[in-house]
Amino acid sequence: MTSFDLVEPETLEDAFKWLGVDDSSVRPFGGGTALMLMMKAQLFTPVRLVSLRKLGRQFEGIERSSNDGSFRIGAMTTFSQLEHSPEIRAHLPVITQTMKTLANVRVRNVATVGGNLAHGDPHLDLPPVWMALDASATIVNSSGTRTIPVGDIFSGYYETTLEQGDLIAELRVPVRPGWRSRYIKVTTRAEHDWPALGIGLSLHAEGRVIKDLRIVLSAAIDKPTRLIGAENVLRGKEIDDALLKRAGEAAADETHIETDNRGSAPYKKHLLRVHIARAVSALVTE
Amino acid sequence: MTTPRTIRFKLNGRSVSADIMPHETIVDMLTQRFDLKGARESCGQGLCGCCTVNIDGMAVSGCLSLAWFLDGKDVQTIEGVANGATLDPVQQAFIEAGAFQCGFCTPGFIMMVRQLLDLHPDPTEDQMRHFLTGNLCRCSAYPEIIDAVKIAVAKRAELAHLVA
Repeated sequence: MTSFDLVEPETLEDAFKWLGVDDSSVRPFGGGTALMLMMKAQLFTPVRLVSLRKLGRQFEGIERSSNDGSFRIGAMTTFSQLEHSPEIRAHLPVITQTMKTLANVRVRNVATVGGNLAHGDPHLDLPPVWMALDASATIVNSSGTRTIPVGDIFSGYYETTLEQGDLIAELRVPVRPGWRSRYIKVTTRAEHDWPALGIGLSLHAEGRVIKDLRIVLSAAIDKPTRLIGAENVLRGKEIDDALLKRAGEAAADETHIETDNRGSAPYKKHLLRVHIARAVSALVTE
Repeated sequence: MTTPRTIRFKLNGRSVSADIMPHETIVDMLTQRFDLKGARESCGQGLCGCCTVNIDGMAVSGCLSLAWFLDGKDVQTIEGVANGATLDPVQQAFIEAGAFQCGFCTPGFIMMVRQLLDLHPDPTEDQMRHFLTGNLCRCSAYPEIIDAVKIAVAKRAELAHLVA
């Protein structure tokens, strides 16, 4: 690794000052698990890293609103903190479930919620889950604050809509009564591999009728993407085998899946059809 | 204007300091400045666990962490787990189970098993396997390593009983 300047601002003003240069090799640094790999491979050679670990309250903590029960999760919250939070386990169990197969203990001890989103890698497990949960992200920069749906962060393969000087400060995650959620991680080479596809699924059912749902596909495509066509097939309907089959077909038709070393495009489309049908059925009858 | 800074931290119970450059990893620092070679860089990607060190009670990959951030922290490496000439119960358990062949991965496994038992004093076999998915043993001593975890559970319980 070549060396670089490393600063640890304690105020947002100082952070924006350090970040506010027209140079994409000046980057914010959260847990650093992803950036360190890119730096060691010399894919990324920073001039300056701006650590976010001393920015304090807005970037930290897991809190539940006493009004609507929604969660505020600081961007520097580590995956371990999510994994071991009793509040998250009770109200957003899909997050606890996702942690079981996300990387390993050491990575979870260090990786952060915000860095995971800013990295823009479509293979990551949490982004499709946040999207299925209708989470939004609060972005701060030197001219103000904006809140956007998590899905709007991603614009392509390792590409985001974040501009130089933007920082993800926190997530807002609603707790929707009556909804159930699940993350389906489909690996094709070894159980503990990166996913060939990931599916974030969230739905509200009464009996076997799906009142509303979110289906988000990741890993097999360039960015985590809601499968609106498949959702429309299922929304408001009572599920049966024929309907689930149609939803799987709609999902395969509306996505552009590439062949890569985790499977051919036709194979991954087959996996998508099978796993959407299976997961929707399991979640409705849970 | 890349310049070193002096960091002060606890290393295996002793207060130490070191002049660190921003790009130095914890493994670089331990091997080059403190002559501690138990945490080794092997895969370099956080997958194999050979570089595991413990910072403020949390296991991390020493090859993917910048030493810069250790200022004020409490760092434990494999060299610091024994109590003088008395081995840690997890170390003793690995010997009794014969849970290694070449031994290259052993420090990392021992550090992870210690954290496992700190969090779950009586883990299920599923918990053991899950917790150790981020540690690779290329000699494939996995069955003996699981045996060692079970022996370590018993040894720790025995010690806790003696203390109580």
